[in-house]
Amino acid sequence: MPLNVLVLHYKNCLVTYLCLRSLMVVKHASRDRSIFIEKLLVLLRDGRKLLGLLRSFDQFANVVLEGACERVIVGDLYCDIPLGLYVIRGENVVIIGELDLEKEELPSRMNPVSEDEIKRAQKAEREATDLKGSMRKRMEFLDFD
Amino acid sequence: MLFFSYFKDLVGREVTVELKNDLAIRGTLHSVDQYLNIKLENTRVVDQDKYPHMLSVRNCFIRGSVVRYVQLPPEEVDIELLHDATRREARVVF
Repeated sequence: MPLNVLVLHYKNCLVTYLCLRSLMVVKHASRDRSIFIEKLLVLLRDGRKLLGLLRSFDQFANVVLEGACERVIVGDLYCDIPLGLYVIRGENVVIIGELDLEKEELPSRMNPVSEDEIKRAQKAEREATDLKGSMRKRMEFLDFD
Repeated sequence: MLFFSYFKDLVGREVTVELKNDLAIRGTLHSVDQYLNIKLENTRVVDQDKYPHMLSVRNCFIRGSVVRYVQLPPEEVDIELLHDATRREARVVF
């Protein structure tokens, strides 16, 4: 679609449009002369981290991600779970971040694991926080201030 | 409109945006829009160890609805100008 048509369509949110459009810029890799589009990180309100290629957006920050995967992080373990083509409603979006390809995406201390293992680690973490929560509730009557 | 104009004047300054999910991001204000969505460049997360997934994020778009605070350096704020603009805006509204 030509740029001028898109500008008219988004005339009320031109700045948002230009911001998000710059995240879609196709860059040339200097070394092997191939073209690639940057991957983006979308943070959601429920704490989920989705990575993917930005294919569409609008003034409400509704987003279409192609080749999306969810990066689940539990302590020093992480796993990328593939999801496919995702349409995200804007109200759930916190941040859309551009990942710098020159830099490491994650600290070196982090270890990739399989989907099953990360799900087990997530469950263990959830149970630990639930236990902490229930213990705190039981102690509340003691009025510790 | 007041804060939209105010943030437009602050473009290029170093700010720290604190979000409702407690994530704090420091960066240069690149642009802002009518919804107060913010685009930051050259970003660094304040507590990097707690948010490892943000390690390589250098530019980001922040939805206006998730911002709790925008922290500004006090020397870059003209408080009298802001007061006057608010009084003018209030007069128009009421």
